[in-house]
Amino acid sequence: MAAREAHRLRFQDELRTLEEQALGALDLVVTALDRTLEALEHQDIELAALVVQDDDRLDGRYLEVHQGILSLLALQAPVAGDLRVVAALLHVIKHAERMGDQCVNIAKLLPVAGYEAPKDEAILARIVKMGALARSEVGQAKQAFSLRDVALAEDLVRQDEQINKLNRECFQRAVEIGDDLDRREWAMSMMLVARALERIGDNAVDIGEQVAFVVTGLFREFSDASRA
Amino acid sequence: MPDKLTDAQADATRRERSDRRFASSTPAPATAEPRQDGRRPAEPIFDVDDVHVYYGEHKAIRDVTLNIQQNEITALIGPSGCGKSTFIRCLNRMNDLIPSARVEGRVVYHDEDLYGSRIDPVQVRKRIGMVFQKPNPFPKSIFDNIAFGPRVVGMKGDMDEIVESALRRAALWEETKDRLKTNAFGMSGGQQQRLCIARALATEPDVLLMDEPCSALDPISTGRIEDLMMELKESYSIVIVTHNMQQAARVSDKTAFFTVELDDTAKHRTGHIVEYDVTDKMFTNPEDKRTEDYVTGKFG
Repeated sequence: MAAREAHRLRFQDELRTLEEQALGALDLVVTALDRTLEALEHQDIELAALVVQDDDRLDGRYLEVHQGILSLLALQAPVAGDLRVVAALLHVIKHAERMGDQCVNIAKLLPVAGYEAPKDEAILARIVKMGALARSEVGQAKQAFSLRDVALAEDLVRQDEQINKLNRECFQRAVEIGDDLDRREWAMSMMLVARALERIGDNAVDIGEQVAFVVTGLFREFSDASRA
Repeated sequence: MPDKLTDAQADATRRERSDRRFASSTPAPATAEPRQDGRRPAEPIFDVDDVHVYYGEHKAIRDVTLNIQQNEITALIGPSGCGKSTFIRCLNRMNDLIPSARVEGRVVYHDEDLYGSRIDPVQVRKRIGMVFQKPNPFPKSIFDNIAFGPRVVGMKGDMDEIVESALRRAALWEETKDRLKTNAFGMSGGQQQRLCIARALATEPDVLLMDEPCSALDPISTGRIEDLMMELKESYSIVIVTHNMQQAARVSDKTAFFTVELDDTAKHRTGHIVEYDVTDKMFTNPEDKRTEDYVTGKFG
């Protein structure tokens, strides 16, 4: 009996550690995002290269959590609330890994955009704002998951709508940017940056949906992507 | 793949069962007419209403109310001493054999009160068979083990056929057809348990009660019994007590979770039902925190 209890306690420890590792990956995303946004604002190619380099850590964390979850499923056969947490963590770590990849995508675009000063302040201002919102969403998604706070998770949709709105404004601005080839090329690469940030926001909302799943046992989409 | 009953045989068995009522009972109500398509919709076979069981002064289980559906496997889970076995024994009046046992409340089986004064407990146990934790074959030949019940209840017909049919339904015929006269103790544990299932099937029951039928078996024999249960539920209704959470999750359609509470003196334990629902839900998203804690192994 005591052995069985010890066994179960170890399982709870392992599950907690996995959750810490998966949510810790979101901290790595925030760091990557900070560096990416700074590199973007100051055309810092060196910093951008570091973002690309450091993504290996996130990829490593993904493998680690993935393997841990497989072992837990195979050896402990979790059920009920534990099972939902394990299933949700698989999503969380996948989303974290994708968000890291989006940072890399942005970082790789910077040399394309060139060393010169930004060509359009209005677009840049919006992208910086999108970055800040995306950063805040990632942090909030993490907090909502660790607190199992559905209201906090649902609030992510509100922030994400702002990002989507800014993304559309960037697009409009880029369309109207004029005939100059350099400016158009720059605006084009900025659209790709905006798109990557917008995706990071979507991933954060997806994590929020996992929070609601863990708490309620029912999966539902917070917003209908086909109408957004 | 073991032989199965032919469809015609199975249909005949089903028809016969739906015609049968307790000898001493009133005619079947209009709602229990035989179905045209031969497939029964899920309908309650047991309607258990506010059942309390006492051993002498001591209350062993309280307030059990649930419906058990026909052609389903219903699993009873819960910590030791929570009254699962006591409850399953109420369903075929096995508790009658314990002198101090007393059952209050109603156990309605096919619209009949099982504890009604006109009900013959022997007929009840013939219709509602039981398989126990440890295989308990009689120290007789395989054939005589199966033939015992039908002889006791005076079943008519060719005994060879009755035995073969029961062994086939228990997926044991191919392994035993050449050694029917040998002693049942020469069989493996898993085979002995399937023999006990065949023995329970021989009297043509329509419910099988299984009290931890696999706890003395290895995983392969357990797998065979579980496969067998899935086949049998096409024609029978099964209620199983199990300590193996994964077994309940694998085989059952519905799961009832029992728990136990201690009285003020901490001497007496009384079991009661916490949650009863579709198995899938019980193991992925139970309503009650106590069920959640039990299935995830946090207590019990």
